[in-house]
Amino acid sequence: MADRYFNPFQAIDINVPVEFHKAFIRYCQGNAGTIIDQSPFPRMVDLWFLSVCVAVRLDLEPTDISKYNTKKIIDGSIFSSDPWRVHTLMLIAIGKTGDVQIVSEPRKIISLASGLVVSGLPKVIEMLKNGNSDPIWNLSDAISDLLGKGRFS
Amino acid sequence: MRLLRAKFENFRLLRDLELQFASDLDRNLTVIRAANESGKTTILHALQWALYGDAALPGKGADFRLHPIDWDTNDIKRVPVTATVEFEITTHRQVSGKPRETLRQYRLVRSAFENVDGQVYRTASTVQLFALSDIGADPIDAPESMINEELPPELREVFFTDGDRALSFIEADVAQSTKRERVQGAIRSLLGLGVIDDAIKHVRKSVVEVNRKAKQVGRGSELDKIAGRLEYIEKDQVHLESSLEDAKQQFSAFEEKVNKTERKIAVVLQKGDKEGLQKNREDVQHEIKQLDDQLKAANKDHSALFRSCSIVTDLLAPLFTRAYEKLEDLHDQGKIPNTTVPVLQDRLSAGVCICGELLNSNNPGGEKRRAHIQKLIDDSQRADEIQEIITDLYYSARPLQTGEDNRPGAWLEDYKKVVERRDGIQELRDEAGRKYRALEMQLDELPETDIQNLRATLRQYKEQRDRCLLKSSSIDTQLRNLRDEQEGLESKRDRLLREQQKGARILAELEVTQDVTKVLQSAYERITNDELAKVSDLMNSIFLEMIGSDPEQGAIIRRAKISREFDIIVYGPNERTLNPDRDLNGASRRALTLAFILALTKISEVEAPNVIDTPLGMTSGYVKRSILRTTIQKSAQLVLLLTHDEIVGCEEIIDEAAGEVFTLTNPAHYPKMLVNDPCVSERKILRCECNHREECQLCQRRLDMQVAPGMAS
Repeated sequence: MADRYFNPFQAIDINVPVEFHKAFIRYCQGNAGTIIDQSPFPRMVDLWFLSVCVAVRLDLEPTDISKYNTKKIIDGSIFSSDPWRVHTLMLIAIGKTGDVQIVSEPRKIISLASGLVVSGLPKVIEMLKNGNSDPIWNLSDAISDLLGKGRFS
Repeated sequence: MRLLRAKFENFRLLRDLELQFASDLDRNLTVIRAANESGKTTILHALQWALYGDAALPGKGADFRLHPIDWDTNDIKRVPVTATVEFEITTHRQVSGKPRETLRQYRLVRSAFENVDGQVYRTASTVQLFALSDIGADPIDAPESMINEELPPELREVFFTDGDRALSFIEADVAQSTKRERVQGAIRSLLGLGVIDDAIKHVRKSVVEVNRKAKQVGRGSELDKIAGRLEYIEKDQVHLESSLEDAKQQFSAFEEKVNKTERKIAVVLQKGDKEGLQKNREDVQHEIKQLDDQLKAANKDHSALFRSCSIVTDLLAPLFTRAYEKLEDLHDQGKIPNTTVPVLQDRLSAGVCICGELLNSNNPGGEKRRAHIQKLIDDSQRADEIQEIITDLYYSARPLQTGEDNRPGAWLEDYKKVVERRDGIQELRDEAGRKYRALEMQLDELPETDIQNLRATLRQYKEQRDRCLLKSSSIDTQLRNLRDEQEGLESKRDRLLREQQKGARILAELEVTQDVTKVLQSAYERITNDELAKVSDLMNSIFLEMIGSDPEQGAIIRRAKISREFDIIVYGPNERTLNPDRDLNGASRRALTLAFILALTKISEVEAPNVIDTPLGMTSGYVKRSILRTTIQKSAQLVLLLTHDEIVGCEEIIDEAAGEVFTLTNPAHYPKMLVNDPCVSERKILRCECNHREECQLCQRRLDMQVAPGMAS
């Protein structure tokens, strides 16, 4: 799939509000010495993507990112290695807008996703922090709850 | 002998202390209540020093300071140390066929000076004994001999006992032969076996003398030769017996060293062989590294859950359904798959529509249909780009909705597996960590002992011990030979003496000495057999009485006895022997040693005080009370130096039996252990008249729970 797939987001930068940048540094594994339990996300794109998904799951409306000072954390080329993420972003765009035609407008899709990140990231940070354990366990439990099951059920 | 009073001046902590002892037959118990460090053991030492001098002090007095440690050397540089003991002795004699009891009181004063200016040294102590009467005190010559008669020095440690030290009769950390010697020594002293031994030696000397006379009678004759030979044999015997004794002592010494070294090795081995432990530690270290790697991998798997497709499909399932419905609609409308243009182009080329109508331009209807299809082709080509994306999305995104990898709840299942794996590995890792720390601790605790060296030392000791044994056996054999030869020669000598006129008287003398020797030997045997059996039986009954219905030990201990080899043996069920040091609890061990001491004093019929320091340590409940009650019953006079804790539970017994009870206090215990400041600047033991139930301004102590925090700080 990856070999033949064209990544429509190839040339698009992924930005997040400056104030969220610290969270990306804090919870993503930047170097070999990072403690996984403290920084559960292998890459920044993973936190970014989960934030989109959580916002969607919680039915949050996208926030207008243009109001924020932003900072680039990744560029769209990163999706080339995970085409399912491209499809997911498209399906999210279709689901949120109801317009199938949006698939031909990658910047709009990314803009929508970025808006969802602004709404969803605070929730993810809350999940990481809330609990008595390390962030990875707090988040895992919160996701389990969100999906309707406790950690050990 | 009964103690009446004692007074100590400048004897360590006893700067100025006077004690009275209960001497009433009905209330013969004196209780001196004193906490730790309040002079109990010092009183024990001071009484013994008064009676026996420096020889009775620890280490025979060498390096044992007598003066108070805080003595002001600017004041007096020669400290006078004095101990005064008053006692009474009852003598019995027959007057006109009737028993008459005479009671005499004595005062013994021992004094020494200790020079504290620079190097501490002590002058030899002087002792004076006075007979007390209504009209004054008359000095008595040779006081030592009188004391030694009344309370033989060999019995000192029996009558002046430290509860802990008494355990030396059964303690495990000395050789069996040493314990045996201690028991034997105590019994020999008390039963007078030493005296008989000396008498036998004396008679043997007489035999030598008589033999010498026999030699003179038959000068130059065979009798002369035989008597000369017998003389040599006697000398050789004395020499060999002395060598045998030395060899036995050396054997005991090496046996003790062997035991000690074996125990050291056992301790080291119990803690673990260093090399083995290090190897174990390396293995555990390797295991830990492997587990850490596994844990790291499991953590990565956990982390990967947040970049997985399953988390997305599970979270977005509702939205995917909605979005995919849109795509399904397009599909239903035939817009997916996007095959319209090629199909239409193909139909145009063929000139026939899918429905069978002609698309021929020559045909007016066909031309119209052809134009319509061409328009459809143009429209489709304009939307082609979007269609391509949607078509691709429709087919590619299908697995996000269904499929093996994206079954509903897949993330939760993956998460559960990750948790189980992580927890499982973590448990193993924790266990390995604990194992590692335990090994580290074991290694840290290992004494820096080279086990190889210890084994080498043990071998040397064993060799030396065995050499001593060999020497003993060799000497023993030589002695047997000498005795055989002696018997033969004696019989020849007696025959020759009988043949001579002058020899008759010498022969008669010889027969007398031989008879006396036999009497003494049989007396020795009888005492050993009969009296030892009596001590053994009495010890057993006292011991069983003391431990009585001890719920912990009563069922196990059946009886105790002293063997003919002077071993104290305790029997359990089915006559199984119990090791007194290992198989008995602290209370029973104490009961056993006290029972032994009381039995000895009873059987010996020596009337003397039993002064016992902390006899009830390690005891409680029934056994504690029973030990106290029995000790009171079996003692002619009993002086107990007890801590407050030892008294607890025994108050009523003390109420009944004690004629004197008072309390000693160390003012240095203020403020941690004493409630009130005794306002004393010197370190000295103070006495108050408080009995075992009372407290006063001086002796009032803080409760343990009040003391504890202060002690910890």
